[in-house]
Amino acid sequence: MLSEAIWEVVRLSLLVALAAVAVSLVPGILTGWLLARWRHPLRALVQGLVMLPLVLPPVVTGYLLLLVFGRSRPLGRVWHALTGGHLAYTTAACVVAAAVVGFPLLVEAIRLSVAAVDPRLEQVARSLGRGRWDTFVRVTLPLSRPGVVAGAVLAFARALGEFGATIVLAGNVAGETRTIPVAVYTLLNVPGGESAAAKLVAVSVVLALAALLLSFRWSVRRGES
Amino acid sequence: MRLEARVHQIFRDLTLDLDVATNGPVLGVFGASGSGKTTFVHAVAGLLEPRAGRIAVEGRLLGERPGGRWLRPERRGLALVTQDPLLFPHRSVRGNLVFAPGAGERLAREEGRRIVDVLRLAPLLDRRVDGLSGGERQRVALGRALLAGPRLLLLDEPTSALDAELSRDVLGLLLRVKEELAVPMVFVTHRAPELLAIADDCIVLQAGRVVAHGAPVEVLRRPSALGIAQLVGVDNLLRLPVVEHDAEGGVTRLGLGGGLFLAAPYREAPAGTDLDVGVYADDILLFLHRPTGLSARNVLPGRIRTLDPVGREVLVALDVADSVLRIRITPAAATELELAVGREVWAVVKTAAVHHLGLG
Repeated sequence: MLSEAIWEVVRLSLLVALAAVAVSLVPGILTGWLLARWRHPLRALVQGLVMLPLVLPPVVTGYLLLLVFGRSRPLGRVWHALTGGHLAYTTAACVVAAAVVGFPLLVEAIRLSVAAVDPRLEQVARSLGRGRWDTFVRVTLPLSRPGVVAGAVLAFARALGEFGATIVLAGNVAGETRTIPVAVYTLLNVPGGESAAAKLVAVSVVLALAALLLSFRWSVRRGES
Repeated sequence: MRLEARVHQIFRDLTLDLDVATNGPVLGVFGASGSGKTTFVHAVAGLLEPRAGRIAVEGRLLGERPGGRWLRPERRGLALVTQDPLLFPHRSVRGNLVFAPGAGERLAREEGRRIVDVLRLAPLLDRRVDGLSGGERQRVALGRALLAGPRLLLLDEPTSALDAELSRDVLGLLLRVKEELAVPMVFVTHRAPELLAIADDCIVLQAGRVVAHGAPVEVLRRPSALGIAQLVGVDNLLRLPVVEHDAEGGVTRLGLGGGLFLAAPYREAPAGTDLDVGVYADDILLFLHRPTGLSARNVLPGRIRTLDPVGREVLVALDVADSVLRIRITPAAATELELAVGREVWAVVKTAAVHHLGLG
């Protein structure tokens, strides 16, 4: 069975992944909507920036985050003003790293789903007296729900596996920033850690697979309807 | 209803330039696909912002470009129904009907009950929209638009995705909406019978321009509008009074003037009422002398008004009493019969080739 120490790691990982999805959901929906419906030359650039964490080495993403959240940088100051502390090497840093790295997956799933909503349905909604926002909430969002759910699940799975950006931004603090991948890496560097690492690997595989299966199921449902 | 619309818009392949004022209550917009009909409706609805233009309904300015205000679609109080019913798939029939602000309250009132009644929506209310037939969907779309309480209903080819029987049904419902609910409409169509049945005033669009404006029956049969006749697909459109019936013989005789009749298939209508009929130019035969022993009921004397070669065909316009018949023949036939302007000939039309237009 799993020891208390392993449970702690798994609990922290789930918490970080859930929090990462939670904080990125609303911005992800708005960004996905914008990228699907906005007709502007700058759209491609915005989309490129959003997708960047998908193609950058996660370590580089982590380093960039470390820079922008640095003590003397604007974002770092804002963070300090809000929390009274610094972001680096905290659980919050794990959440930020996981959210940023998972964001492209979330946005892309939502963008595709919104793009698949017939814009004429939105036109009809407008002509029936519903404003832009009302139309989004009553028509576009409910019809893109499968994409939102699938995107959230993918982002969750990606967050569970996040290592590179996390190790740079959040480090390896037991109980605070030691998520499953960080713990596996640590255990593999400790003599006799293999059996505990193997258990974590098994948990990882089960969680990732469950998330993917759920995401597939939701996309199939969407295809059928 | 008073609608004033001026729209100027340039596309890659079309310049739409129209200026129309109408008192409706139903303005027909007639034209082939690509003539700018939908663009016009979208400009009125506010879904498209033209380069220049002005839209006013009942004296209320909805938009003016350049400069001036351009009200968003949701602030115009117009409801759009298109060829595709575009029901919201995630909502039930009732959910669709109450979509517009205030539609729920309207549905609960007498006004809403009448809409439900006219459109026969009661048995559909709790159904899912994906199980509905094409005609049912269009009825729900109409109900949804009417329950928005629009000042003006915009109908963009609402029947063209339906088969003949269903489109007649929907058109009949629209007539009831017009007469019983008194909702003014802009009705876009490429079908002449629909225009004749429902529109009080109409414009004909061709390549982005208004080529004719007036009462539908006048506009559609205006001799100058040869292109319109082609658009209509029926080359001869006639509005003629019923003179007498021969129910057993299956014939209703319509007066052509000058003591001449046009025998049409039997149609119940009191003597004196006008019926709209159409005859294809290919369905009329020409004879130099009065033929005898024919099954065709219509043997009509006429005088050739014009002879126009159109491609490999010759279009003959024949004065028959007070009407003009258009007849299509081959150049070979025209040569052999030695047809010429002013020549007197006989036109023969089978009763069955006289098609009733409109409803009834």
